[in-house]
Amino acid sequence: MEPLLHIDNITKSFGSETVLHNVSFMLQEHEVLSVLGKSGSGKTTLLKILAGLEKEDDGTISLSRKRMNDTPPNKRNIVYLYQEPLLFPHLNVSENIAFGLKIRKQSPDVIKTKVEHMLAEIGLEEHAEKMPHQLSGGQRQRVSFARALIIEPKVLLLDEPFGALDAETRVQMQELFKKLSKKMKLTSIFITHDLKEALTMGDHIGKIELGHFKRYESKQDFYDDVDSGAQQEAAFWKQFN
Amino acid sequence: MKFKSKHISITIFILFAAVPVLLGFGYALLYSFGLTGILSEGFTTEYWEKTLLATEFWKSLGFSLFIAAVVMTTSLFFSLWIVISWTKNLYKGLLSYVTYLPLAFPAIVMAFFSFQLLSKSGFISRVIFNLGWIDDLSQFPDWTNDAYGVAIIFSLCLLITPFFIILYSNLYQNERIPELKALAQTLGAKKNQITTRIIVPILLKKSAFTIMLFLIFVMGTYEIPLLLGRQDPSMLSVFIIQKLQKFNLADIPQAYAVSVIYILLIATLIAVVYKTRPAFFNPEKN
Amino acid sequence: MKKALQILFILSIFFPIAFLLLLSLGRNWPYPELLPQSLSLENWEFLQKSDSKLLQTFFLSLGISILVATVTTALAFITSKHIALSKYRNKLMLLAYIPYVLSPVILAATLHFFFIYAGISGNVSGVLLAQFFIAYPFGVIILNNFWNHKTRAIEELSKTLGSSSWQTFKNVLLPISKNALLLCFFQTFLVSWFEFGLTNLIGVGSVQTLTVRVFSFVNEANIFYAALASCLLILPPMILIWINKRYIFATETVI
Repeated sequence: MEPLLHIDNITKSFGSETVLHNVSFMLQEHEVLSVLGKSGSGKTTLLKILAGLEKEDDGTISLSRKRMNDTPPNKRNIVYLYQEPLLFPHLNVSENIAFGLKIRKQSPDVIKTKVEHMLAEIGLEEHAEKMPHQLSGGQRQRVSFARALIIEPKVLLLDEPFGALDAETRVQMQELFKKLSKKMKLTSIFITHDLKEALTMGDHIGKIELGHFKRYESKQDFYDDVDSGAQQEAAFWKQFN
Repeated sequence: MKFKSKHISITIFILFAAVPVLLGFGYALLYSFGLTGILSEGFTTEYWEKTLLATEFWKSLGFSLFIAAVVMTTSLFFSLWIVISWTKNLYKGLLSYVTYLPLAFPAIVMAFFSFQLLSKSGFISRVIFNLGWIDDLSQFPDWTNDAYGVAIIFSLCLLITPFFIILYSNLYQNERIPELKALAQTLGAKKNQITTRIIVPILLKKSAFTIMLFLIFVMGTYEIPLLLGRQDPSMLSVFIIQKLQKFNLADIPQAYAVSVIYILLIATLIAVVYKTRPAFFNPEKN
Repeated sequence: MKKALQILFILSIFFPIAFLLLLSLGRNWPYPELLPQSLSLENWEFLQKSDSKLLQTFFLSLGISILVATVTTALAFITSKHIALSKYRNKLMLLAYIPYVLSPVILAATLHFFFIYAGISGNVSGVLLAQFFIAYPFGVIILNNFWNHKTRAIEELSKTLGSSSWQTFKNVLLPISKNALLLCFFQTFLVSWFEFGLTNLIGVGSVQTLTVRVFSFVNEANIFYAALASCLLILPPMILIWINKRYIFATETVI
């Protein structure tokens, strides 16, 4: 099958510091790729380059076989979501969700139907008129998702999206994301530093460390890699058996 | 396209913010060395010698420093005292509004008001006369146009204290002082220990840059000493403008020499802060 | 005790306002009378007389200050954004602080020659330019804080959701910067409205703003008209405070 996203030899330096070394990988349509990465690994730079918010020094990015290195971020249809939900503070929940549709000048009727549908998906129908500061952290993150999903992006880039949430909300959000991801057939790259989250969320797993990217063939592959940390984690839990 | 607009915008900034200062400085420098102006007869250090050797300039500089130091000490004392003892009242009710009203007073109006209040024939003198404490207005002390700048100090304190009251009452919340206070209490600190070791140091440290900016503002203040001060000693701005507007043309280069010293002094101060505390100039690193 | 001190404090703030209002109603004030004599609205009627020009002065000042504040705010918004993105951000901000702290009248003294040379000394355009020289760096300093990490992230997010630069500016940046812009507008308005030394020097006495009039009334020993002009000067800022005190005070900018 033809991959949707093809990343070939991306390199990026800031001054004398190289943050990405020849990063290459592919992403199939409807695939969720979890990427393990700590802060300082180059993960944010990589996602920003894919979204068009940073310019790579070298290498090519193609989407459906079309080179798009020079496509501006607003024309790529790739949404980059930060750890913080970053809702527009001057817009209420519905208006936040509708943002991308309004920009695309869709008709008010269409926008209304789509927003209502999206609100139902994230279970926030009751809160449509609320302003961002009236919501809890988890609710804000839901709105942020809905706002991205409603424009049906080709690829969704998530940079530790649940990092700031408490354990319980985090699990709820993971389930919501998996549900929506399946239903809407999303293609996404999901960055996390949590081993368990990487394993539960992704169809495939990758790892970024000091600017080097590695994609594992299978989850077993990942487990077998001594450096992945998966074996130590398993050994830790085994000692209680 | 983006590249271009950014460069245009920064060029405009340098043109309107930095170039005027440089041009003015350059002109003052040339003038003070006799290289331009009506009396220009080629390079001479005569005016600089005259300026630096006369006590007039040093008195003016010293007087400006003295006023700045007294005004800032007084204003900081009162604003800290008011904020610490009235904390709760400053956030709601009449006080929370009234504190802002003095900010509507321009310096020239404050100077005019202070004169009408403190001069020999001013309001206070009349009150004291009617109380029978003095028999004649000449017995009332010299508070305006006096050697110590009493009215100048009074007027500047009226302008500056409200500003610091608002600043400190905002900082009080932002720096979570109520929480720190409670914490210190559980650690066994007494009430005045909390004030002197926690609240005052935090507020002063957080406002250090602002305090320095205000010291510079006060040193350069013009309309207040113009209306309330005397010729000698006069504060720096008044000193410079008086020399510029005198009939004696030989005074003009001296006025520019003092301007050069003043601009250098301030640029150096700001540069020293920039070197030692770069975070002041970048809000994201605060 | 605390209550009494607070009442005293409140009275001491209202006192200058009441005092100036009372003076503006007076005709003569012989020593040792506590209050001015023959109080009437006669001085205020002076405002309407076409030859008095005080009302014209008021509107001239208002016009100058609104113009300076509008141009400054618009330009400072764009400049401060580009400064924030620049790798020389700190150095550029250093350049903004020097004219900000410099005594305006001394800046005017060193620049007056150039204003004469350009033929704009003693007219409104010269005063506008000179005031712009001090208001603009201040505007940049006020708005500098707005361009932080979060603003940049919101701007980027808007772009990945499909907005062009112009759409991002119009639909996101402008609405979220509303408060910062209003603060900048009011602050730079006040810089211009309160300015005396620089205006008097560059205007050479022929551009009569309200502060210049207060000064000339004081010099003519006409304290009643000086009080009247003072009242006109403090009125607009008080209205601004009444509308929203937040706009007049920039804690965030100066810390």
